[in-house]
Order: sequence, then C-alpha cells, then structure tokens
Amino acid sequence: MLLCDFHIHTKYSDGSLELRKVVDIFGQAGFDVIAITDHVVNGDSMIGKLAYKFRFTVTEKNFNEYIENLKYEAERAWEKYEMLVIPGVEISKNYLSSDKSAHLLILDIKNFLPACSSYESIFLEAKKQNALIVACHPHHMKGEIRNTLYLWKNRHKYGKYIDAWEIANRDDVFNVVSLKKYPYIANSDFHKARHLYSWKTLLNCEKDKEAIKKCIKHNKGVAITLFRR
Amino acid sequence: MTLLIFLCLVSLSFLIYFFQVLALRKKLKERNFSINLPAISIIKPLKGLDDNLFDNLESFCLQDYPEYEIILSLENQNDPAYRVAEKIRNKYSDKVKIVIDNSSKALNPKVRNMVTAYRISKYDYFLISDSNVFVDSDYLRKTVSSMTEEVGLVTNLIVGTRGKSIGAILENLQLNSFIILSVCLLDKFLKMPCSIGKSMLMRKKDFEDIGGFGAISDVLAEDYQIGRLIHEKGKKVVLSNYLIKNINEYWTIKRFLNRHTRWAKIRWKIGGVKYFTEPLVNPIFVSFFISILSGISSLSAILFLSSVSFKIMLDLLVIKMLKQKVGLEIMLIPLKDLINGIIWFVPFFTSKVNWRGNKYVISKNTVLALAHENSFMRNYLKLKTIFSH
Repeated sequence: MLLCDFHIHTKYSDGSLELRKVVDIFGQAGFDVIAITDHVVNGDSMIGKLAYKFRFTVTEKNFNEYIENLKYEAERAWEKYEMLVIPGVEISKNYLSSDKSAHLLILDIKNFLPACSSYESIFLEAKKQNALIVACHPHHMKGEIRNTLYLWKNRHKYGKYIDAWEIANRDDVFNVVSLKKYPYIANSDFHKARHLYSWKTLLNCEKDKEAIKKCIKHNKGVAITLFRR
Repeated sequence: MTLLIFLCLVSLSFLIYFFQVLALRKKLKERNFSINLPAISIIKPLKGLDDNLFDNLESFCLQDYPEYEIILSLENQNDPAYRVAEKIRNKYSDKVKIVIDNSSKALNPKVRNMVTAYRISKYDYFLISDSNVFVDSDYLRKTVSSMTEEVGLVTNLIVGTRGKSIGAILENLQLNSFIILSVCLLDKFLKMPCSIGKSMLMRKKDFEDIGGFGAISDVLAEDYQIGRLIHEKGKKVVLSNYLIKNINEYWTIKRFLNRHTRWAKIRWKIGGVKYFTEPLVNPIFVSFFISILSGISSLSAILFLSSVSFKIMLDLLVIKMLKQKVGLEIMLIPLKDLINGIIWFVPFFTSKVNWRGNKYVISKNTVLALAHENSFMRNYLKLKTIFSH
C-alpha cells in the first residue's frame, strides 16, 4: 500500500521549513505520495489580514512561482525517491468564530483560487480544475482555541461537493466522520519536522495522480495508520 | 585555599583537554598504506527511522570499491525503515539484499537483528555499520587500508553533523568534542582498544575465533566487547582516522539525554573506578561545581566565565580540525557540558536503560537482563558475570 500524506505546509505559508527540505524529510522517510498544501487565506477578516501581513499565505501574485517550484521538486522527488508530489493548497477561511471558519484542501490544483470567494464558487472552480476537495480538521481538536467547524455544521448543504473528510489530523481523530460513513483520509497537517510522526493515509492503488484521486473519492482500498519513528 | 584547589582542578582539567586535542591532531595526521581490497559484506541493522535514512543507506551503495554487498536487516516488515530499505533495494538491486528475521534469542536488539544477515553474507570480510551514518564514496577504500595482517578490527571516528533542533545540536557538539576527544586519548596515549559500533570491519575468521554473536548477544556494549575480545586474542584494534558522519538533524532533548545517560551507564559498568576521572575532562562542570561549593562570589563567577570562554575557544578549534561548520550553536557548549556533568551522576542511581524500545537492567561489563525480570534472575545474572571473569 502507498504511504501518503496530503496535508503539508512549507515556508510558502506558515510552515517552518523550506519546500525542498520538506520534500526531503518525506522522501528520506520512504513516503510514496505527498501533497504540498500551503494556506491560501481569506483577506476579508482580521485574522486573514494578519496572515497577509506576515506572509503566511500563498497569494495570487506568487501562486505561479509556487506551482513552478512544486513542479521542479516533484520531478526531483520522483527521480530520487520515487515519491509522487501533488500540488495543492489549503483554502483557509478564518474568522474569530469557530462555527464560521473552515479549511479545505484542494489537491492537484492548476489555477489560483481566492479564499474569499463563496463556498459554491470555490467548489465549482475546483471541480472544473479536476481537483480533489478535502474538508480538513472538520471537528473539535484537542487544545485548539479556534476550530474550523463550518463545513461540518453545513455538511447537508456542502457534503455533495466534498470528496473526502479528514478523519484524523496529526494527533486528533474525528470519530464523527466514521459514524457518518463519509470518505476519509488522515494527514499530518505538517508544519514542523516532528509532525512527520502522526496519522497518515494508506492507499491500495497505482502510484499515479488520477488513480490516487479516484481511490480517495471512491474510498475503496483506503486505510489510516499512526506513523511512528 | 579554595581558590588554589579551584585553579589546580581547572588547570588539570584543561591539561587533560590539551592532551585530548593533541591525540586528535596525531590521529588525524595518520596515514595508511595497505592496498589490499578484499570483497566485503556490509551488514546494516535497521530499527526505526533515522534522520536522513535514505541518503545514509544510499551513500553505501555509491562506494568506489570493486566488490561488496549490502545486507539491510530488520526484525519485521512493520518497521518504518522497511519502506526506505525497499526503495534502496529497488534502486540498487545488484548490491542490496533485505533480511527480515526475529528468530534470534539475543537480548541485545542490534545483535538480534544481525544474526541472519551475517549467516547469509557471502564474503570473508564483513562490516557492521549503523543506519544513522553517512559516508563519502572513498569510505570503504580508506577504512580497508587500515586492515593489515595483524589487525583484527578497524573502526572509525565519528562526527555529528547537520543539527537543526536543540537536541540535535547538543548531540553533535557532544560527539564533536567529548566523545571524539576521549576516544582519541584512549587510542593514542593510553593505548586502550577503542571500538565504535557505528563502523566495525572484521574478518569472519577473527569474529568466530572470539565466539561470534554468542559472545556478544547478551551485552549492551557489543562494540566494546568485540574490541576487547579481539585485543585479548592478540590482534590489533585500529581506529581509522576516516571520519564518518552521524547525521542528527531533528533530535529532541529527551533523546539526547536518553543516549548520553545510557552511554554514561555503559562507561560506568565497563570502566569501574576509572569512571571517577571522567569529570576531569569537563572543565566547565568542574569550575561550576567548585564555584557552587565555594560560595558564589565575583571571583568565582569570573573564574567560571573564564573557563567557559576558554572551553568554547578550544572546542571551536577542535570543530575546525574536524572540518565541521559551526555557527552560533557553539554558545550551547556550556549548557551541554553542564548537562553532561549532571548526567555523570545518573549511573550511581540506576542501572536501567531504554534502548530501541526495550527496557533492560545492565550489570558489570554491560551484561543485560530484561527490566521486568524478577530480582532473582538479576542476581543470578550478576553472579554469572562475577564468576565468568
């Protein structure tokens, strides 16, 4: 089975390590598939404005550079480690209220998606790009003051657009996803080197972008594992 | 009077340090001339993910050496290192084999991991190499050049490198000062056989003459034991000056403390009374300890700070001799030395060690007993050790 992590941050947003170093950390540890998913933050709230001020976000301006560097690293990772690197972003709608906030992974993104657009337009644009949509950390997390509960609370409205839900994020497990029998994956939400040791996804499919997306969408041959040193 | 004792002890401490640096200098200047290049089996016991594991393993596949094989041995397929081993085997299938076996009953988990790999290895010379080392392409050639007829074991000096976290920086500073200097002093001036488990090259014949894995299966310091037994058989134990790199990037402070308390316990169980001389090679701790004992005053503070500055300068010199890059992390040397001074006391309070996920109690010469065994068993093992020497 393929060892995968689809939720990884670099210095392009609020990660502590450069893209190249992040790719090497996962490559050196024997991973088969990773997705780099730096934040694209909404600029229409106070928290969002702070993210722009401190450059904790990919912007429309540097998006092309981000994708170019990801392409270069993907080639290097494939050549050296036979590891597939999927370009992605984490659309981050941050508000003071947990009930209003939501984070979405867009995997295999091609063009920039602004985070302040409406949910419907983000979903439709992502679908147009043949990208995979994953609702991340959709429920309460231990030790977090501010959670991202909007999508869970509005799952009846938006569930049809979401290809998979994070059932586990780093050390948190969301049993509600299991109870609803939603398609699931598990990720590290990697920001620091120590986050390597966390929940991961195992996929029983070919090491190929389309096969991986299909496997997650259909939720066949998906398992999760707690990755330890 | 206190000041006089202070000055004597700190001076003695720096004098020993000076001899250590001299030993390292002499060691680095050594040259070897053997041109024999025998075929070698490299055995790599893997357990868990080391920093830089893929590159570490790959560096052994890229040796400029005519004939060798690499056997990666693991206890089970669930080990996270297995995926990395598999990728390396797929990339270098002509050189690399993977062995999975956990049938050995050895208490030492590293030995347990190597028994089958040794059995299937095909050459007369074999090299035990830890998974956390990275080497350049001339490593085998240069290490083998120390292996002459009268030599039974060749080991290598290690340098710690690429520290990113505090734990890793402390670890590398310790390897690049206290550890490497102590090893060189023992080797050059005290003529004691030093064997370092990270890289040990032997002939199978010599290894079997000392009893093979049977002789080291239930000791923690299997490297020390191999060196000692080979030395007792009349063969030389050579410390090659080829520096192998121990890549420690993201260690936690807990891991640093765990390793060095374990090593301190090993040195206490092996060295006995000689262990009491060890604080003398830690001038910062000596000066700190005396400053506290004599009462904190401006004079003791000046003397302590002078010791700290002098030690930092000397360590910087050593790190330059080892051709390692160093930056502001050098300022962590006093903290590292103080921690090590405290660690020195630990073996007097406990003999328990935690290694590769196993808990043991160690007795003389690092003989192992599982920590959960009852006291009767431990006493039996202690008696067995006493009567076997």
